[in-house]
Parts: sequence; C-alpha cells; structure tokens
Amino acid sequence: MLTDLVLRLRALFTRRSVEHEIDEELRFHLDRQVEAYERAGLEHADAVRRARLEFGGLEQVKEEYRDALGVRLIDDLRRDARLAIRSLRATPVVTVVAVLSLGLVIGANTAIFSILNGLLLRALPVHQPARLVHVTDSVVRDTGETRVRAWAYPAWEQILQRRHLFEATTAWSFTRLNLGAGGETQLVEGIWADGGFFETLGVPAVLGRTFSARDDQRDGGPDGPVALINYGYWQRHLGGAADVLGRSVRLDGVPFTIVGVAPPEFFGVEVGRSFDFIVPLRTEALLRGRDSALDSASTNFLSILARLKPGQSLEAAIAELRRAQPQIREATLGPWSKEVADRYLTSPFTLVPATTGYSNLRSSYERPLLIVTVLVALVLLIGCLNVANLLLARAIARRHELSVRLALGASRGQLARQLLAEGLALAIAGAALGLLLAPYSSRFLVRQLSTPATRVFLDVSIDGAVLAFTVVVTAVTVLLFGTAPAFRAARVQPVGALKEQGRASIEQARGGLMGWLVAVQVALSVVLVVAAGLFIGSFTSLANRQLGLQPDQVLVVTVDPQRANVDPAQRVALYERVRDAVVALPNVAGAAISYLTPVGGGGFTPPVEISGIAPSGSPSTPELIAADGNVFGNLTSPGWFGTFGTPLIAGGDFVEADRQGAPRVVIVNETFARRFFGGGSALGGTIIVYPNTPRALPARIVGVAADAVYASPREPVPPTWYLPMAQFDVPGFPFATVRLSVRAEAGSPELLTRSVAAAVARVNPHLTLTFRPLADQLHASLTRERLMAQLGGFFGGLALLLAALGLYGVTAYAISRRRTEIGIRMALGAAPAAVVRLVLTRVSLLVGAGVVAGAGISMWASRFVDGLIYGLPARDPTTLAGAAIVMASVGLLAGWLPARRAARIDPVTVLRES
Amino acid sequence: MSADRLELPQGTLDLLILKTVALEPQHGWAISERLHQISSATLQIRQGSLYPALHRMERRGWIKARWGISENNRRAKYYELTRKGRAQLEAETDAWRRLTAAVAHVLESV
Repeated sequence: MLTDLVLRLRALFTRRSVEHEIDEELRFHLDRQVEAYERAGLEHADAVRRARLEFGGLEQVKEEYRDALGVRLIDDLRRDARLAIRSLRATPVVTVVAVLSLGLVIGANTAIFSILNGLLLRALPVHQPARLVHVTDSVVRDTGETRVRAWAYPAWEQILQRRHLFEATTAWSFTRLNLGAGGETQLVEGIWADGGFFETLGVPAVLGRTFSARDDQRDGGPDGPVALINYGYWQRHLGGAADVLGRSVRLDGVPFTIVGVAPPEFFGVEVGRSFDFIVPLRTEALLRGRDSALDSASTNFLSILARLKPGQSLEAAIAELRRAQPQIREATLGPWSKEVADRYLTSPFTLVPATTGYSNLRSSYERPLLIVTVLVALVLLIGCLNVANLLLARAIARRHELSVRLALGASRGQLARQLLAEGLALAIAGAALGLLLAPYSSRFLVRQLSTPATRVFLDVSIDGAVLAFTVVVTAVTVLLFGTAPAFRAARVQPVGALKEQGRASIEQARGGLMGWLVAVQVALSVVLVVAAGLFIGSFTSLANRQLGLQPDQVLVVTVDPQRANVDPAQRVALYERVRDAVVALPNVAGAAISYLTPVGGGGFTPPVEISGIAPSGSPSTPELIAADGNVFGNLTSPGWFGTFGTPLIAGGDFVEADRQGAPRVVIVNETFARRFFGGGSALGGTIIVYPNTPRALPARIVGVAADAVYASPREPVPPTWYLPMAQFDVPGFPFATVRLSVRAEAGSPELLTRSVAAAVARVNPHLTLTFRPLADQLHASLTRERLMAQLGGFFGGLALLLAALGLYGVTAYAISRRRTEIGIRMALGAAPAAVVRLVLTRVSLLVGAGVVAGAGISMWASRFVDGLIYGLPARDPTTLAGAAIVMASVGLLAGWLPARRAARIDPVTVLRES
Repeated sequence: MSADRLELPQGTLDLLILKTVALEPQHGWAISERLHQISSATLQIRQGSLYPALHRMERRGWIKARWGISENNRRAKYYELTRKGRAQLEAETDAWRRLTAAVAHVLESV
C-alpha cells in the first residue's frame, strides 16, 4: 500500500526523471539484446531489427509502462487541461464572452445565495446555537409559524427565578440610544441585555470583559453603568484604539464605561440587525427614569432566550415550563380587561428553536428572497444556454481538427473528455470571477434594505455553505453547457469532415439542437420579463396609491422628553407649548402633535365599545368591538388633519376647548363609520375606549375624517378613531415620546429642521428631537417592493439581452453555414427578400414556440407570487401580453439583423469559394 | 522464432518473474534471457511486456528496484524479491500446482 502510494507520487511529481529512467532501462535491454544477436552472428542492422521485433514497439512498450505507473488518469487529465487552456486561448473572443457571461450569472446566484444563507440558514455565531430556544406563547401566525413574542419585565423576573427550568436563560431587547448631548438626536443601536446574556450565549469579549449579573443593577454595578462596544463600531468610529477600555460614553445623557469589545462576528441574537453598544438590562431604569419599562406589566419589550440543559429534549423543557406556567402567569397579571386577562392566563407557553436566531427581516423578506433565488437560477440557465450554443458552434467549427485527431487514433471518449475539460475550464474561470463579484453585489443589495429608521445588518460573507453552493452551481453549469459540445464531438464523422475542409455542405444546417436551446432561452426570458413586469407594476401601484394625505410637505419630529425631567402629567401641556411655538414660525403652514403618525411604526389598539344610532334611527345596543387589534386609534391635537392634508368629510376637527373638563369628543375615519354605522351618519354616536374598566373613556363622535394610511400602504386602511391628546388622561399612560408633525408652506420640509429645533429648544432645551420627512418614511415603507421591482427589472432586462444575443448568434451562425446554399439560391434568381423570409421563418418559429412556452410557465408559476403583488392580479393578462410582445419584438429584431446581411450575400463570391 | 510458442495464461508472467528473481537480484534483460533459456524458448513472451509487469509488481511491494552497475559497466535497474514477494511466490506456486493437478486429473478421468 505505502509502496504503491510512494511510487505513484513519485511518478506524479518527478515525472521527467521517471521518464528518463524508463528510457534508460529499456535502452539497456535493447542494447543487450542487440549485442546478444550480434554475438550469435547477425549483422548489426539485422540484430537491431530483430531485437526491436522481439521487444515490441518501443513507444508502445513505453505507453504500457506509463499505464503501469498508476497515474494514467491524472496524466490524461493534466493533458486535457493543458490542451483545453491552449485551445481556449486560440479563440479569445469566445472564451472571454463565455467567461464573462458565466461570471455574471454564477456571481448573481452566489450573491443571492449568500443573502439567503445569511438570512435563513446560518446559525448564530454563538456557542452551540442548536441548544438555544426562544420562550414564547402559542400564538401562531397565518404563515403557520409560532410567533416569538416579547415579554414584560415582571414575566422575565419570574422566569429568571426558576433556575431549574433551563441550563441558563437570558433576556434582551433592541433599543435606540442617543449619543447626542441635546437637541437633535444622534442615534445608535443598543441592546438591553440581562446579566446572563454572554454566559448563556457563550460569547466572550475579544478585548476586556463582558458584563455579568453583578453589573446588571438599576444604578449600575460595582463599576457603575458598563457597556460593551461592537467590534465594527470600535474600528470605524474609534479607530480601533487600544485604550477603548475604560472610556466613557454618554448614552441618553448617562455616562457608561466601556469594559469590553464584542467579537467581530457577533451581532446579537436578531438576524438582520446589529448593535453598537450592549448595556445591562436594569440600567434601563437609569435612562428612562419614570418611564422605565422595568416597572410596567404591560410593556412587552423583552425577548427571552434559554439554553436547554445538556441532554434535555425540547418537549421535556416545554413540559417543565408549562408546569411552572400557572404561577408565572398569576404573578404577572396586569390591570387588563377580563378578555385580555383570560387569554393571558390560558395561552400555553412554548419553546421555539433559536438556532438561526430571531428575525423580523426574515418574515418580510423570506418569500421575496426565495422568488429572487428562482429568478436568478433562471438567469443562470439562460446564461448557460448561451455558452452552450457558443461552444457548440465552436465545436462544429473544429470538425476538421477533431476528425484529424480521430483519424490519428484518439477515441471518441478522449475527444469528448477534452471538450468537457474545456467546458470545465470555462466554468471554473467563470466561478472564480463570480466569487469575486458576489460579495460586492450581496453587500450592495443588503445596503438597499436599510432605511434611515432601520439599519439592516446581515452577514453575507462567503462561508462553507456558500462555497459549496458555488461548486454545485458550477458543476451544474458544466453539465448544462459542456456536455452538448462533447456529445457533438463524439458524433463527428472523420471522412466527411476531412473532405469538407470546414465549410458547409448541402446538409440542412444542423442548427437543430442550437435552435431549440434558443427556444428554451426565449421561454425562460419571457418568464423573467413577466416577473419583472409584475414586480414593477406592483411597486408603481403601491407608490401611486391614494394615501389619504399629502406627505410631501410634512416633516415628522419625534420628541423625547426623557431628559426634560417633566412630570408626566405636565407633558401634554409642554407639547402644546412646543406646537404653538412651531406654528408661529415662518414657512410653517401648520403643526400638530400626536401619539402616532402615519407609516410611523407602531399601532394603538385598545379595546373599544361602540354605541350609536342604528340605521333605523333608534339608538342601538352597545357593541363590544373585541380587542383583537382590528380597530386602531390615535391621539391627536387640533390641526392634525390639516397638517397631514386629510380632509374631514363630516363634522369638524378638534378645537382648543376640547380638553380636560370639557365633554369628551372623538373623530372617526370613513372606514370606521361605514363598518359600524352602516349607511347612516356616525356623528352623534358614542365610543367607549377601555370599556368596563375604571379608566373607561366615553366620547361622542363629532367628526368623520377621510381614510388615511395608518401603518403601511400595503394594507387597507383600518377603522380608526382619534381622541384629543389633551383629553386622554388615562393614569399610567406615559406619553414618553410624541410626534410633532410640521407642514411646510413651500419648499422641502427638511429646510424647517433648523428653525423647528431652535423653536423647540426655546421652549425646553432638554427635549431631544429626531427629524424625518414623511416622504422618507413612505419611501422606506416600500423598500421591499422597490427592491423587488429593481431586481426583477434588472434580471428581466438581462434575460432579454442574453436571449437576444443567443438568437442573434445562432441565426448568424446558421446563415454562415448555409452561405453556399444561399449563394446558389440567389444565383438561381431568388430575391433577397425571399432569403430574409427563409431565415426569419425559422427564427419566428423558435421565438413563437419560446414565447408560448414561457407564457404557459408564467401562468403556472404565478401562484408563487400571490400575496406579494399589489394592485395587479398575479396572472395579469396585460403584463403577460406585454412581455410576450417585448420578447417577440426583440427576438425578431435579433434574427432580422443577420438575415438582412444574408440577403446581401454576393452569389458570385460565394460560388467562387467553393 | 518457433512457430508453436505457447501463449502465457493470464497472470502467470508475474509468477515466472518472481521465481526468476527469487535466487538473486537481476535486471530486466537478465530476467528476459533467463526465462527464454529455461523455457527452452517455448513460452511466447513479448520482451517489452516484462517491464510494465515488473513495475506493477514493484508497486505491489513484491519486488524492490535499485539502480546498479551491470556486467558491462552500464547502469541498469536491478530487481530483487522482498519478503512479501517471497510469500507471494510460495502462495502462487502452490496455487499453480494445485490448479494444474486438478486440470490434469479432469483431463485424465473424462
């Protein structure tokens, strides 16, 4: 065994000396044999001849010896590779075009896959991620997956106390922290993390230390409030300075000491987001003071993560957790209505595997990403078909060379293998190029996902999975385009090819295979163009959707009173003073404050009860609208509707008199009025917010507003009610942040930033402000559709181009092969137009077949994009027809150009050539 | 060249080479000569085919090759039997004898 290996390696690596030895040994034998025959009496020449005969052909023996070396296969492969590269270099244009197309399509596939990998497949960069689970309840989304919910702090404390349930458990939440010193905010991403966070995850600090339960105190631990800094942030903003440990950073005005740097690959537990700082959970009380979520039983902001005990199965852990559930629930019951409380007590806890972390990004982008993966795979197919045609044409052009080699003794298998080697060489070059391009494209795409409000972080680096994927894709491409020419070569007839000297014969130009490859390309391109049309149409219809407001002039300012140290009861008054100050500014057409703004994120869905005038005209019985989140609310100040440009179609807006002590009033939107009051007028009806609780707020409907978008332009406008902020005196409602919306009279609303900031500062300099034009928020809310439209358009255009090139190439090639035939026809009197028609007939046939097949596939595949397309049916006939027309026109043009050249063939020249 | 040389059955060339080399290390030509002499030129062995066979046996560890100086002062590659080769020789000889005995037995009794 060992000897065998040693000898083979020797033959592999010291080939020349081995060859030399073989030669020497065989020559020795021959010389001795010649001597022997000479001694036996033969003449030298005869002796030599006889010795050679006895020996067998020298070269043949050498070949046999080489076989016996055991490296035949590698030898052959080496030779194939050398020949392949040489022959590819001989046709540089074809080679470069092929490598570029392959690089492009393989790179696109790798890029999309690395995003898919980063978002869906990759496990968290922590210790043994497979043992981690999310603690949640059993609410299931309509996609079928269990929702991972957020918990309130008291519930977390209960779980933390029960150490016997898991090996370790921890809680965390993302938050925004303000680095700025006042006035305009300078936000960074932060994570509140319980003391056991790093231990549970098994993540060490790469510099300094992580923090532990000791540091997780409300006022900070022995070292005061500490923080861990993100590796990338440290490199980018602090220059990777070695003295970062011990530095102080002010987060929301509170100084934190940096005690450690997180490892570079660690981004937290949520896929799609990353942090700049991690701070202990309990220091939230330090930053939020009165509004601390730690004291609230109904602010659900914590994600709870647990590590299973070694050997503990998921089911066992769930069972144990549910045994503890009743006490946990009882201890954390909030002042809720009976329905809510009932649900809380009965919904069973459950555990969901957290190997790949938690991700909001995933739920929005999983399906679109899978669709894009399919689209890009189609582009790969089309690209490969192009290269296949290129190589086929090349193989046919080399008939002469191949037939000579066949005649010299090469086997068909050897020829096929060599052509396959060429295909492999091209594929490897293309894959290398693709791997080079992929990271830039994937990082670029991920950057497109980020909006000013949500910074997306996704690790799309090339890891083992991505490399394996690229290898598989490359192998598939070789199979797709490398085998066709190889089979072609194996069918070459030596005699015929030798005779023809490489020119066309009367045989029908065997564009058979090539033609049908092009038809397949056309079909796939049609599918991609239809997809592009659907996504672009979806985006445009969303972007042009009537929002019920006029966003372009509006600037939304998030006002945070954290540092202003104002008693919550006085906050509304403060905000009203702010609003008054801003309204008075020049170039301000209006300003108002509200709890939420359209497309601003968040929803307010307290339970409401409605009683009003039934259509018959008599007071109807109160209807409880269950708190299932279908009815949305907002708290606004007078002038809010005007600021957003939402008209009031009945009744009127709030007035300044609508405040504490005055009769309670409410405004509803059209959908609300229609849903609950039928055709009749809603004015005069009554709504009770928080019915059947001590803080119930009955209010009379005094106005009906036009429908305006609430959370997202994708969804239909929900029934919405608006209460005056000044009258919303529910105890415990924090009014922590409110939004000030400002309408500019003229010009961009961003120009108002300075003056608004100054005006607010004059009222109270400790209010922190975050500015965002409403138009930007709308733009950001459509990111997904915009991205799909851009990608779809790009790939559709690419597919169109590739198909057109393929069609052009095949037609031009077929014409060149039939030059003689065409020349003869024209010499015999055929008109140029007839020649063009001859060529175009075949082109039309191919394009027609392709378009029909493509349309069929699109119809079938449209079910997969259901739900992602807005404003159009997934089988929109206009889009289908449009795509078919575009493809047909492009195809016919691509075929017509070479056909036109064919018509100009000079018969005399052609005939002279033969 | 004798007209009725016998073709060598598959695999027996190895056995003959092993036997030839068993006595003392020899180079390729000497092995060829010895085989020619001993078999009285009965066996039809193409001389060239010795060498691939020799190398295969070398790979299997039955013989060991070494470059040395031959009788006429030229460099030649000498082959000698290894321990493994000796065991293989015994085994194959034994097998051959049993085979030929069995075949002879069949031929006589039928």
